[in-house]
Amino acid sequence: MRRTIAWFLTLLAAHPALADEPVPPGPYTETECITCHTERDPNLIRQWREGSHSVTSGVGCHSCHGENHKESAVKARKDQICTGCHKGAASHSYSTSKHGIITRLEEARQDWRQPLQRGNYRTPGCSYCHLHNGDHGDTMAPGRGPEVRQWICAGCHSPRYIREQFANGKRQLEIADLKLAEGESLIVSAVDDQTDALSKLRQSLNHHRKNVLLGIGHQSPDYQWWHGQPALDGDLIRIRDRILQSSRRKSLADNLEE
Amino acid sequence: MRNRIIIPLVIALLALSAGFAYVHWSKGGTGSGLYSRHWTPDPVQGYWDPDNFYQSPDSVQGVFEGKLCVQCHEGITPGIVNDWRASRHAQSEEPVYCSDCHGNDHQQLRMPTPDICAKCHEKQHGEFQDEARYGFPSHVLAMERAVDAKHFVDKPTAEVQSCIQCHSAATKCDSCHSRHRFDAAEARRPEACITCHSGPPHPDDETYFASAHGKLYLAEGNDWDWSKPLIMGNYKAPTCAYCHMENGRHQVAHKSLWKFGLREVNPHTSKNQVLRKEWIKLCMDCHQEEESRQWLTELDQERKQAWQKLYAAEAILKNLRSEKLLQPPAGERPPYPMDWLDSLWPRERIGFFEGQASVFYNVSAIERDYFEMWYFDNLGAYKSAAHGNPAGVETGHRKMAASLDRIETQANELRELSQAEKKAGITTKPSGDLWMKGTYTDYNREHN
Repeated sequence: MRRTIAWFLTLLAAHPALADEPVPPGPYTETECITCHTERDPNLIRQWREGSHSVTSGVGCHSCHGENHKESAVKARKDQICTGCHKGAASHSYSTSKHGIITRLEEARQDWRQPLQRGNYRTPGCSYCHLHNGDHGDTMAPGRGPEVRQWICAGCHSPRYIREQFANGKRQLEIADLKLAEGESLIVSAVDDQTDALSKLRQSLNHHRKNVLLGIGHQSPDYQWWHGQPALDGDLIRIRDRILQSSRRKSLADNLEE
Repeated sequence: MRNRIIIPLVIALLALSAGFAYVHWSKGGTGSGLYSRHWTPDPVQGYWDPDNFYQSPDSVQGVFEGKLCVQCHEGITPGIVNDWRASRHAQSEEPVYCSDCHGNDHQQLRMPTPDICAKCHEKQHGEFQDEARYGFPSHVLAMERAVDAKHFVDKPTAEVQSCIQCHSAATKCDSCHSRHRFDAAEARRPEACITCHSGPPHPDDETYFASAHGKLYLAEGNDWDWSKPLIMGNYKAPTCAYCHMENGRHQVAHKSLWKFGLREVNPHTSKNQVLRKEWIKLCMDCHQEEESRQWLTELDQERKQAWQKLYAAEAILKNLRSEKLLQPPAGERPPYPMDWLDSLWPRERIGFFEGQASVFYNVSAIERDYFEMWYFDNLGAYKSAAHGNPAGVETGHRKMAASLDRIETQANELRELSQAEKKAGITTKPSGDLWMKGTYTDYNREHN
């Protein structure tokens, strides 16, 4: 909660002054970026250090902003910077969503120099939601709490709409988790099956459950549904079929032994 | 003699009116459509089907004029106000304000339905409504067909909200004309279609973008003038809307020749020939007549090959059904809760006319394989063929051949297993209650 309040305070205290100071164009080394920005904007550096980019993947300033100062923010705000690494379902679920397609169509007309704040973008790109207001921790990370997400969506949508969408998303995910649990308990009960078929199906369940999550987060009906729920249904059928085949074969073998 | 005519006539009339009365009664429940008495909408459904389920908010009291709405929402939801300001609604001499579509009274606000848009856009709305006469698949019937599907009613309402997001193309104009810009130029671009027209059963996006037409669009489309009407000479390459909504006609299904690839269509009927002429005329905006005709013939051939494979798989499944080898049989699977006929006479659904569209859960693995072959592999091949992507046709047919092979192998295994069991004198039901229990399966049963 304290983090959420602090986050809202940073929203209020806009800091355009930094951008106005003349800075030599660069190029800069990674260490130079961090040294200077630690002094000017310690909060930002802390967010990055604590966030998943720094901690698990070692993504630094250069990866998104390039080496030069000019247009470095504009560059990092565009979707292509993110989708260079975040390929596959994570990117496709967004790029086929209404938000994704409009962002692509508007790219040339959009003023990307604008801060990532409400009213500045027609539709949210990756950075608008995940680095809202330039927050370098992921503003969509589960630990950030729903208030931050609600605030971001509320730049365009009504509070009730957001509430209902979130609540439905939560219910959809709970359903996917019920399927996951059903599959898991079936797999655990399958003592006769000696092949790796069931462990592959377990991977498949987890993959499709993730698709449901991406579909909800990125508002892609297709990932919620065809890549998600019915795909989970298919996994459950195949797990059951595998168990059925094994048990039939086993009782046949037992019968022959007798 | 007279009685012989009158009595059957009276019985027929009574049966007919009883039928109508039953359908009318069945539509009077908490949900909508034929099975409305079997489901209650998820709270979010009001946004996808406002005419049936939207409830006005009670958060703010008062009656406001359009300008006041804008003033207040500029601070609350600046994104949509910016969008509206850039729209023709705001820029015309007599601006169309929020209140013109949503109403003035904040506690009785409405979510605009196509009827509201029709107040000004009568021509487009009229065309859109008239699409119903071309049957389904079509946009205008999308919502009622979705909620009338048995699996929609059977599954938890929260889960099937993902279906009706796309099926809301029937109930909201902003599926294509995204709010609050409602820009016709934007709606003309292929991207306006792909949020729904993507994914395994309808990869319209991939198959079009992989075609020569699509590649040209991807390379140059950003520089085209999208404010121009969808007629000959205005676009260097055809797009979704150019072909399916020529000259802005709001009837995407009006030239539907192969019915989405879902069922076999006879290409030689007179109706088909009329539609074919319309397609050829359209292709002739750029191509030769003979060349255009040839493409359609190639598509006929592709469909013929596809249906040969699909029918071969259907025959295998139907044989298994008559030999009672599908495991578990229909009677040992969770039934659709409202389908009492099914519980009296359990029968596995095989093929389009038996309800193949619902055969993706609670069925045996071999039936699911056929569902995927029909709904994913086959439709992928069809969309590739229709959009001019030969590589996709090849992939689709390769997948269908592999599926058919797998179905054949599985069928042989099932047969051998059953014969071995008979020989060994094993008579117990092999599946027991394996399909009937589980965290999700129990939840689904209890929540319907």
